[in-house]
Amino acid sequence: MADQATFERDAMEFAPQLYSAALRMTRNPTDAEDVVQETYLKAYRAYDSFEEGTNLKAWLYRILTNTYINKYRRAQRRPNEVELGELQDLYLYKRIGEQSGASISAENQALDMFVDDDIIEAIESLPENFRLPVIYADVEGFSYKEIADILDIPIGTVMSRLHRGRKALQRKLWNLAVEHGLVEPTP
Amino acid sequence: MSGCEHAVEYVYQYIDDEMTVTRRARITMHLKRCGKCTDAFEFEKRLRAKIAASGKSQPPPELFDHLRALIDEERTLGDSDR
Repeated sequence: MADQATFERDAMEFAPQLYSAALRMTRNPTDAEDVVQETYLKAYRAYDSFEEGTNLKAWLYRILTNTYINKYRRAQRRPNEVELGELQDLYLYKRIGEQSGASISAENQALDMFVDDDIIEAIESLPENFRLPVIYADVEGFSYKEIADILDIPIGTVMSRLHRGRKALQRKLWNLAVEHGLVEPTP
Repeated sequence: MSGCEHAVEYVYQYIDDEMTVTRRARITMHLKRCGKCTDAFEFEKRLRAKIAASGKSQPPPELFDHLRALIDEERTLGDSDR
């Protein structure tokens, strides 16, 4: 059992990361701060029930996720499974490779054409059930097990959503590169 | 299934370091022999690093003060209930 008196000392260090994740989810600084504040308030109230020695960071993210879903998603909760359609493995790598004259080193250099805003836009384009696992794995660096705990879904589901979500993200990046005239559209 | 297909199927689990030691070793062996897969894996790793780097945003400087004030208030309320 954790002691409420130590909550600030234990939990405050995660605030910048939680804010960063909240900003990704809500896409808006005011909403992000609201979600983080509500998360800390709930976490403080429930801290007695947090089992000391277990994963505090994942516990906080779980509260953050539930807060976000309750606050912003309840009204528009989408059907649980939004499908992304069939997507090729190594989607972006293959598309870039098809560009005329692309050599092996060119494929890796080609990644430099994407700026942070492209990546952010690509993540934002993902349906919610794929977006959250991708943010947790790729941006926050959580393990599959941690993501399963945070989102309360089985590990197998985490893996398949990550797999498909990442491919869809690559397709979006490719489409952005085409839109920006950086690459030739493939027939 | 060819070695390449097998490797590509597990590319994310490999990069995420989420697979058994045996399976991982099998793919590492394949990568040592296959330049094409090595290159594709490298590409996926670099993309992932780029995604990770894009996500860092600084919280507003007053966030900590707000959180502390909120918890202080909650604590005071809790004490007065007793």
